[in-house]
Amino acid sequence: MDKHNPHDETAHSEPAEQPNGELYGVLAEFDTPGELIEAARKVRDAGYTEFDCYSPFPVHGIDEAMGIKRTILPLLVFGGGFTGLLLGLLLQWWTNAYDWPWLISGKPIWSLPANIPIGFETTILLSVFTTFFGMWILNRLPQVWHPFFRLDRFARVTDDAFLLGIEARDGKFKAESTSELLKNAGAIAVESCYLDPRPESRTVPKWIYAVIITTGVMALIPFAIIAKARASTSSEPHYHIFGDMDFQPKVKSDATFELFGDSRGNRGVIAGTLARGSLNADDTFYRGLSRAGDGNPSWLAELPASLEVDMKLLERGRERYDIYCAPCHGYDGRGEGAIPRRVKTLGGVWLARNLVDPQGAVAKMPNGQLFNTISNGFNTMMGYAAQIPHRDRWAIVLYVRALQRAQNAGPQDVPADCRNEVR
Amino acid sequence: MSTDVLSSDSHEERKIGATREVFRQVTRDVAWVAESPKPPKAWYAALAVSVSALLLGVYCVTVLFQRGIGVWGNSNTVGWAWDITNFVFWIGIGHAGTLISAVLFLTRQSWRTSINRAAEAMTIFAVSAAGIFPIIHTGRPWFAWWMIPHPNDMGMWPQFRSPLMWDVFAISTYAITSILFWFMGMVPDLATFRDRSTSKIKQAIYGILALGWRGSARQWHRYERAYLILAALSTPLVFSVHSVVSFDFATSQLPGWHTTIFPPYFVAGAIFSGFAMVLTLMVPARYLFNLKHIIKDSHIEAMCKIIIATGLMVGLAYGIEFFIAGYSGNLYEQFTFINRMFGPYWWAYFAMVSCNVLIPQFFWFKKCRTNPYIIIILCIFVNIGMWFERFVIIGTSLVRSFLPSSWAMYSPTFYDIGTFIGSFGLFLTMFLLFFRYLPVIAIAEVKGVQPEAHAGKAH
Amino acid sequence: MSNAEKTLHPEEKFKAGKLAGSFTKTGAGLAVAFGLISVLLGMSQGDHWKRFFFAYVTAWSFVLSLAIGALFFVMLHHLVRARWSTVLRRLAEIMASTFPVLAVAGLGILIPLLAGYGDLYYWAHHDAHNHTINHHLISKLGWWLNPSYFAIRYVIYFAIYIALARTFIKKSREQDESGDPELSNRMRVLSAPLMIVFSFNTVFISFDVLMSLAPKWYSTIFGVNFFGGANIAFFAALILISLVVQRSGRLTRAITTEHYHDLGKWLFAWTFFWAYTAFSQFMLIWYANLPEETIFYKYRMFSEWQWVTIAVAVGHFAFPFVFLLSRWTKRILPSLSFFAVWQLVFHWVDLYWNVMPNYHWEKTQVDGQTVFSGPMMGDPIMHSVGFSPVDVTMWLALAGVFLFAVGRSMTGNLIAIKDPHLPSSLSFENY
Repeated sequence: MDKHNPHDETAHSEPAEQPNGELYGVLAEFDTPGELIEAARKVRDAGYTEFDCYSPFPVHGIDEAMGIKRTILPLLVFGGGFTGLLLGLLLQWWTNAYDWPWLISGKPIWSLPANIPIGFETTILLSVFTTFFGMWILNRLPQVWHPFFRLDRFARVTDDAFLLGIEARDGKFKAESTSELLKNAGAIAVESCYLDPRPESRTVPKWIYAVIITTGVMALIPFAIIAKARASTSSEPHYHIFGDMDFQPKVKSDATFELFGDSRGNRGVIAGTLARGSLNADDTFYRGLSRAGDGNPSWLAELPASLEVDMKLLERGRERYDIYCAPCHGYDGRGEGAIPRRVKTLGGVWLARNLVDPQGAVAKMPNGQLFNTISNGFNTMMGYAAQIPHRDRWAIVLYVRALQRAQNAGPQDVPADCRNEVR
Repeated sequence: MSTDVLSSDSHEERKIGATREVFRQVTRDVAWVAESPKPPKAWYAALAVSVSALLLGVYCVTVLFQRGIGVWGNSNTVGWAWDITNFVFWIGIGHAGTLISAVLFLTRQSWRTSINRAAEAMTIFAVSAAGIFPIIHTGRPWFAWWMIPHPNDMGMWPQFRSPLMWDVFAISTYAITSILFWFMGMVPDLATFRDRSTSKIKQAIYGILALGWRGSARQWHRYERAYLILAALSTPLVFSVHSVVSFDFATSQLPGWHTTIFPPYFVAGAIFSGFAMVLTLMVPARYLFNLKHIIKDSHIEAMCKIIIATGLMVGLAYGIEFFIAGYSGNLYEQFTFINRMFGPYWWAYFAMVSCNVLIPQFFWFKKCRTNPYIIIILCIFVNIGMWFERFVIIGTSLVRSFLPSSWAMYSPTFYDIGTFIGSFGLFLTMFLLFFRYLPVIAIAEVKGVQPEAHAGKAH
Repeated sequence: MSNAEKTLHPEEKFKAGKLAGSFTKTGAGLAVAFGLISVLLGMSQGDHWKRFFFAYVTAWSFVLSLAIGALFFVMLHHLVRARWSTVLRRLAEIMASTFPVLAVAGLGILIPLLAGYGDLYYWAHHDAHNHTINHHLISKLGWWLNPSYFAIRYVIYFAIYIALARTFIKKSREQDESGDPELSNRMRVLSAPLMIVFSFNTVFISFDVLMSLAPKWYSTIFGVNFFGGANIAFFAALILISLVVQRSGRLTRAITTEHYHDLGKWLFAWTFFWAYTAFSQFMLIWYANLPEETIFYKYRMFSEWQWVTIAVAVGHFAFPFVFLLSRWTKRILPSLSFFAVWQLVFHWVDLYWNVMPNYHWEKTQVDGQTVFSGPMMGDPIMHSVGFSPVDVTMWLALAGVFLFAVGRSMTGNLIAIKDPHLPSSLSFENY
């Protein structure tokens, strides 16, 4: 496992097999991060600029020792984030408020509060992109190859080595004195690094080009297919990947269905059956009939016994009456509702019975018949069985009786102790 | 361990290479996992189980695509059920990773270095598992690309005022940021793997991934700034993600969903469940891969303490919600909270409260924070509790909403359960592969927080 | 963090000495002078002291939030075993020990309430709980919002706050004498469970003092939002108090730019947190648009108050946020102190924005019973902000009370001299 031992290696060791070209620079190894910092300071003080330190982790204090300027990355990120915010808001404004104005839940077309979450996310996204890609670009990475990679020693920089490399292109660089400086700075080994003289080492292998071109061409295929589909027409039917969703095994309402002789998908109610909860056996309550005496049905005169008659029921009756009956019969029951009056102004005739006329038919009707009229209609009046539940119909009957009483009130209806106030 | 080497020659003249032995030891301890020709048997067993679970999930999702959402227990009343519960659950799990890599970095908690890599990986895998659900819950996943704004023949654009669109942006930003952050942190360690690889293929793969990293001081300088900036960006991002997830519910008018404390409450709950998941995974892993001296007992303890803290925050939010329901005098609010406690899903509510508020209290005792078995059991309970929390919020609010005529009950089908198990399979499979092939510990960062990282400094 | 740990410089002045006196004198002077002006102004309003008391609540909750922030800082410091902040902890402890004085100052609200004054908190009005005529106003709140129960809670809140602050300050000062590192440990252990008590206390005091000004309205995040604002104000105040202490020649070497930089970061972080909670509250209420909730924002967004709303959003968040992003804004002391003052002022504006719109309710007599109407009851009438000088003078008076209280507790050392973490805090460096 431990294939690197720093004690084995001698200074100026050179790779045996590889031929060496021009001198690229020297690489010195130090034992601890602290010594690396000190050496970096000495190298900088000696006037070198083209040098760098290499370590397995960021050594704190080395930036100052080497004189590295603070990176401009934060400024770029601020710019990136601001652009992200503007683009995010612009996207939402242009799509939802300008290009296709779209009213959602009564909110303004351009409603900033609802656009902030996405604006925030795009801000972060562009900041992150700027940070990530900005950092690699500023670091000039990815870089496939570097001369120092030729040295075995350099492979240990990602493990435990603290290295300092000075490049030959530095104005102050002299092979001998530079090595001497590094040794004096405490290096445990100093090594020269030469460039590879072979010409093929400087060119990219051909197979890499082949891979890049093939990948590029393959990547274009989907776009080509889309472009072709957009430019041409086709008589082929739509391709259904999941047939079950598109063609479901069911008969839609009012559609034909050949299984039945009449070819109708809709089937009627089967004779002799009832839907659950619709038996309504109590004739008195559900139909207003009385079977008292001989057992033959007759209209119920009073209200059904199962009905609890109180102020609440009367209030309910008024409310339902005002909704369903008053448009024609009027709030007072005199048959002059909004509709007859309107029809009259248009020159037509709309008859609505006066419910409260003491001589009229309604006043003489038994309660059961009145209930039946509400349920099933009479003459031109339609039945309200579908709209008004049974109990509410009885409530309306009750209220109509109250109206008849109220509209025909006489002095005897005034409480005794108030009679002399009425004139 | 390596410290012995140091102490032995601290009084004598310093031996060359003693400091470096410490760093070498760190490299070796981490790299052997990926370098050993055969992983432990338990790894194979775990992988077999995970892949089977994943296959079950693939089967269930295939059936779902063919037959539609009807194969789930969802109904008109309960339009969101296990699908969104699982989604929120997994997104929450992911939050611990970002918290460890970003928030603990900003607050200079150096213990994070031993677990941040694995936790970040967990974030990415959890977000992947989460991302499945919103896509499949539509029943027509082949139209998912409609959510990406692009010019089209229909002249349609996504509806950006919908919280569900905010989700799309938040989750994808979160996934991208997490992946980039994770990858960037890994580059120096991939370079370590590159330099240690002996086979050509490994050299090539790790070499490409390491981008030619040289560990130069000028590179480290920008790298560290970038790391700090990414941490600073990830912190508000991680808050925003679960807040946006909470907006999916809280912007509605449904009692039990519409409450303003949801954003911070969801974030606290997410971190809570995420840490429980980190512990569930890391406690066995540190035994399995012999990482006990890097992921130290004190690190595990610190995470247990974070679980208590976030658990109590969640408890505080439960309390506030309940109080305000009473204080508001709003009948619907009051009904919803009473219904949670005593309604048909009372058991889910009590599972949630006991697992999230009561069970973490065991972590007050040092014994519970140091015994691996107790930690795992308690953390599993926390995860169960947090899953139930999402179910309680989503499910029980829907089954008893405003209209009594639409009240209904919900029970999961085989496909609900299978899809959920499948998401676990996906998550664990990815995690196990990561553990085998990539640097599971941030080698460079661990080296940087060793005391030897300051060795030989003058001042 | 550097490995070279420093100790307190031998020539460092770290005793409070005369500084305490100047704090008490300045504070008392401000409090008395502006207190008197406020009383005169309050009287001249001719609204039965209503404006005076609304200004009082704003100002009092402002100084209360400073103390709450300070207590949280001290507790968090122990809880997470923070090291960098050790040099500043004593100053925060001094700010946290103002609770007894603030409790007394709060009697200015409590006593009138108990005496039956119902113009500030209208739920205290005896007709407010009459369901038949004011049913739209408060429903079923009688059990929570009534003066005597409020008074009981007031006592509990302050008993807890004072006890918490006392616990930590006493142990901290004990350590100054004995230097026992075990004390740090004990404070750490204590801080965890006490944090739970603190959280509940803070959430509920904000509900009672501020949210119940509009009893029909409710928001679960309100307490968290108040807590965020309290922390902004505290860090701003701590920056300024540290600067004053250093200006007097004390702790000149102990507190460095590095510490200010970190304080600046916290100021920034809490600004963001506050904005996050404020936006969450606003967005969720705005989006769902439920009448009883949305009226809170409708009134603040469509009346003259909209300008205050914009001022809070820009002044308390956007402007300081953009500038505090930069490392240099936090490291250059004049700019940092500018933003500290700025955030303190806007924290007050934020509280003003929360409190004052509730001022405009009215009561009318119908059949001998009081009927309430006003912004929080869906009254569509748009009122003006109606700024009054008493709002500011009251604020200055209570700021004086706070300074007075700070001076009173500023005895002995201004730094925890024997804290085991002090050396690492002294040598603290940002990276």
